[in-house]
Amino acid sequence: MVANINEIQSAAAALLNEGKVKLVLGYRVRGNDRVPAFVTQADQVGCLAYDSACTQNLAAYLRKGEVRSRMPLAVVARPEVMRSLMLLTAESQIAEGQVTVLAVDEQGFHGVLDLAGTAKLLNEQYARIAPDSSLMEQLAKIEAMTPQERSAFWSEQFEPCTRCYACRAACPGCFCERCIVEMNTPQWISTAAESHGNFAWHMIRAFHQAGRCVECGACQDACPQGIPLMLLNHFIAREVEREFDARSGYDPQAEPVIGSWKQDDKQEYIR
Amino acid sequence: MKTLEATKLADLAAALTAAGYRVIAPCQRGDQVHLECYQAGKTLRADVIPVNSAKDALFPRSEVIGRYRFEGNEFETVPVAPQAGKTVLLAVRPCDAAALAPLDAVFNWDYKDEFYNAHRDATTVVALACTAADDQCFCTSVGGSPDSTANADAVLRPADGGKRFILESLTDKGQAIAAAGQAVLTEGQAQADPPAQVAPAFDSAAVTAWAKDGFDSPLWKELSLACMGCGACAYTCPTCHCFDIQDEATRREGVRLRNWDACGFGLFTKHAGGHNPRHDQASRWRQRVMHKFAYFPERFEMLACTGCGRCGRLCGNGMSIREVCSQIEQAAQAGVK
Repeated sequence: MVANINEIQSAAAALLNEGKVKLVLGYRVRGNDRVPAFVTQADQVGCLAYDSACTQNLAAYLRKGEVRSRMPLAVVARPEVMRSLMLLTAESQIAEGQVTVLAVDEQGFHGVLDLAGTAKLLNEQYARIAPDSSLMEQLAKIEAMTPQERSAFWSEQFEPCTRCYACRAACPGCFCERCIVEMNTPQWISTAAESHGNFAWHMIRAFHQAGRCVECGACQDACPQGIPLMLLNHFIAREVEREFDARSGYDPQAEPVIGSWKQDDKQEYIR
Repeated sequence: MKTLEATKLADLAAALTAAGYRVIAPCQRGDQVHLECYQAGKTLRADVIPVNSAKDALFPRSEVIGRYRFEGNEFETVPVAPQAGKTVLLAVRPCDAAALAPLDAVFNWDYKDEFYNAHRDATTVVALACTAADDQCFCTSVGGSPDSTANADAVLRPADGGKRFILESLTDKGQAIAAAGQAVLTEGQAQADPPAQVAPAFDSAAVTAWAKDGFDSPLWKELSLACMGCGACAYTCPTCHCFDIQDEATRREGVRLRNWDACGFGLFTKHAGGHNPRHDQASRWRQRVMHKFAYFPERFEMLACTGCGRCGRLCGNGMSIREVCSQIEQAAQAGVK
């Protein structure tokens, strides 16, 4: 547990007592697990906990009606979750005043922030979040493969996918009311949980995350079948940074990379 | 008695494959263990409960149940017969074997499902008695036991401190497995290891009793708050059997597919006109619990949960049947309606 956990608890209690929020979304300990906590009364804040095992991205709850109806609310947010909140602001899903941030990282609690303050903290303190080194090693191995080997690798990875869409449900960025995989007039993606449909689903989801994924890892953690989705996500994030000099979740006013164009874009076809 | 050296489980799988069976067994996949089709070279793991259930073999995640062609205004349907090959579920846990009872019941209730039954008839179940359980296991709370032989055609019992298995055949199908695997089995004596101790987690009768009058309980909202509405628990559940019918067509031909579906999805009950009778996650969780602990006992005199614990192992938000039913039992004891 972080050393100053009591500061998170008292900050949460103050927000609830002052009526600034109706709900504090955080974490609590249950056995060996860390599970989400939904605190609505100041006398319940004692359950709030935070340590490096608190990996769920609580920003995903902001799409849920039962949670949205309790805005304004506060979220216990590590840097990746703060980035999700910036993305949701940029994409008009939340606005200043609706969400207060209780900023945390593995060292501890870093204060109560509004969304503008969160953007400032992210850019000052967490501008570079180094990706996991084993992920980079795996990605380098895949990039060294021939296209045929790569195709075989991904076919093998996608084979156990049952299309439960837990990856989508765990992702704060997947807030579409109707996902493209559920469109059937016309049907863009086969719903069959076999190679063709699974490939199409995971590729389309990766493309829709381009410039949006904050690399929190929630989708991969949620996947019951162990599909290494972060390989795709990190690859796309790196390409977006290389091609468009953009990193998601740092600018609450950012224009979406996949939804905007500029006169000076270097690609010829845009002009 | 017939015994099998613990190191020879893959040899048994290979022998059964050679005898023409599709062998579904606990295979190493990355750092997980999956119940999947055995192929030469795969490592079998009898020591870990697989992440997925065995139901995919009987009720596939996607199955073509019809085909059609059209040309202008001409339309014709093409009957599809079930593609059910001889299959053995090798070393599946008693909780997976137990799940066949609710599946058999529901797929033969008002309609005899020819696809499910074709797979079922072609399937032999070789259960693996559990000598260890983890903190999510709760078979004993839902009428099961770690060494139950319910629905099994044969059972492998770990013996001599895990060095070997005793293979007991219980039916003709089980005898056929012993015969097909003869080359890797030994005739000898062995001492079966004691079954796992699975501490009771909750009283399912109390949950069923509370649920009878619990439809309108405000408790569902609180119980379901952490659920993100993904279908992972239902898709890995050995008894969940909801499905969706999808027609997928190109210009001149199409297939009718049966895909897994889940009552936890908002879209599951959404009407074409936009109305959704289960408009929030609370009503969807109520359905999940009611289906397993109220409607199923009422209709089939059995629970639709076998205590495998997969929902608890996989849900990062702690939304498991074990947890929710424990909370319901506590509420019932406290007199909460």
